[in-house]
Amino acid sequence: MTLTEVARAIAAKQLSSHEVTRACLHRIAQWQPHLNAFMAIESEPALKAATAADEELAKGDIKGPLHGVPLAHKDMYYDAGHVSTCGSLIRRDFVASTTSTALQRLKDAGTVRLGTLQMAEFAYGPTGHNAHYGAVHNPWKHGHVTGGSSSGSGAAVAARLTFAALGSDTGGSIRMPAHFCGVTGLKVTWGRVSRAGAMPLSQSLDTVGPLAQTAEDCALLLGLMAGLDPEDPTASAAPVQDYLAATKASLKGLRIGVPKSFYVDDLDADVAKALDATIATLKAEGADVVQVGLTDHRQLSAASQIVLAVEAAAFHKRWLIERPQDYGPQVLMRLQNALAVSGVTYLEALRWRGAALAAHIAATSGVDAVIAPVSPVAAPSIAESDIGAGQNAEAVIQRLTRFTRPINYLGLPSLAIPCGFSSSGLPIGMQLIGRSFDEATVLTIGAAFQRATDFHAKVPTLP
Amino acid sequence: MTKPTPQNVSAMAEAAGVSVDKETATRIANSIGPALEGFAAIAGTLPFDLEPASYVVAQHLKVTR
Repeated sequence: MTLTEVARAIAAKQLSSHEVTRACLHRIAQWQPHLNAFMAIESEPALKAATAADEELAKGDIKGPLHGVPLAHKDMYYDAGHVSTCGSLIRRDFVASTTSTALQRLKDAGTVRLGTLQMAEFAYGPTGHNAHYGAVHNPWKHGHVTGGSSSGSGAAVAARLTFAALGSDTGGSIRMPAHFCGVTGLKVTWGRVSRAGAMPLSQSLDTVGPLAQTAEDCALLLGLMAGLDPEDPTASAAPVQDYLAATKASLKGLRIGVPKSFYVDDLDADVAKALDATIATLKAEGADVVQVGLTDHRQLSAASQIVLAVEAAAFHKRWLIERPQDYGPQVLMRLQNALAVSGVTYLEALRWRGAALAAHIAATSGVDAVIAPVSPVAAPSIAESDIGAGQNAEAVIQRLTRFTRPINYLGLPSLAIPCGFSSSGLPIGMQLIGRSFDEATVLTIGAAFQRATDFHAKVPTLP
Repeated sequence: MTKPTPQNVSAMAEAAGVSVDKETATRIANSIGPALEGFAAIAGTLPFDLEPASYVVAQHLKVTR
């Protein structure tokens, strides 16, 4: 069942929140030893909350569209009174005093808390390794990575341990796990969803968004979370679209661009094949697909790396001085990278952002969205991607995330959808990149693709 | 700015208040160097009046196909 389906079933009293929550906890107990997807499993409080939700429903007291639906989220969304480790040793015992706006809006819609999900330390890693809590395993193939930094979110949604999960995307951290784990992930426009109460990594690039089974599920969640927030001055006043309605629309009249270069260069054969097949399906569903020449996204990627490195190091500077030994080697290495960037270069990278976005808008004005791979490869093994803090570590990270970082720099929405499998049985995803504050169009395309295919409905089997 | 030398990195790190040893400085220079090289074509070329806030303006540019 998808999030949308289970929410409807609970509201219609076809299923109780208690039995749905118990079923999730049963699956979690089965899968957790294989995946390491959860940071904390809160069985008793979850069942108690589910019982309360059922009692409220019996009295006609429905909190919202997700009444009684059990969910778990990346362990970086503060929830007052609960530990939020942020995947780190430094914050192992950090108890939040506030609740993040995104999480509060989902709680207000009636969700039940299952626990918290694993993540890369401080959300600063694209593979799913974690020096303190161990790597999260890909549900499709044990011993392979999930992608990060929302590693637990990707694995838990893929294995159907939670109906959806919040992730965060600063350089690809929602889209990479969506791609590697075969789920749908929405990186929103920068400013679309409040970041208040979410652990910061880079204030100019951080976005809050969902991973779920379908584009429709992502639409439901975004509709609940999007909009202004007095706690986050960067949350935009741009009108919130009707995302669920968008998922019902047809592709007729929409034009989708395929980049002529960069995003189609040096792809693994399985990824190239999946891209071609996805384009064919979109055409068959009525979209007009054309080639599009983009600006130099390698420069965007470089600018993105500079902004991310400096802003992350600034957040972490006190701990870099006082507790460097408490970071994992790779995260420490990446935080230290910023020490070689001058203040002038950092500000130039920020000053260029508006001009770079305007140039991208001009280059893509003939299309409604752009399709591109999320990564040139399917999930590598945990062993081969265990690069630690070696001399080539940053280069390996940059290669894996080269198709996601430029989109964070531009701050555009991008929906990652499952669209195939590699010859070794690992999922492959594509990203649909839209215009600023037009999540509706990429959700329209994603939903239409999912009506025509069943990659999103495939479920891994327990090892 | 192009790829910094380990000596550059050591000096900048010291100025930032986070000292690093020689080996770390060399590793940092190699890690962040490609990003600085990738941005070199832009650095030093931006118009005088361009502010970071121009990004928020660009987010709301009207687009018609």
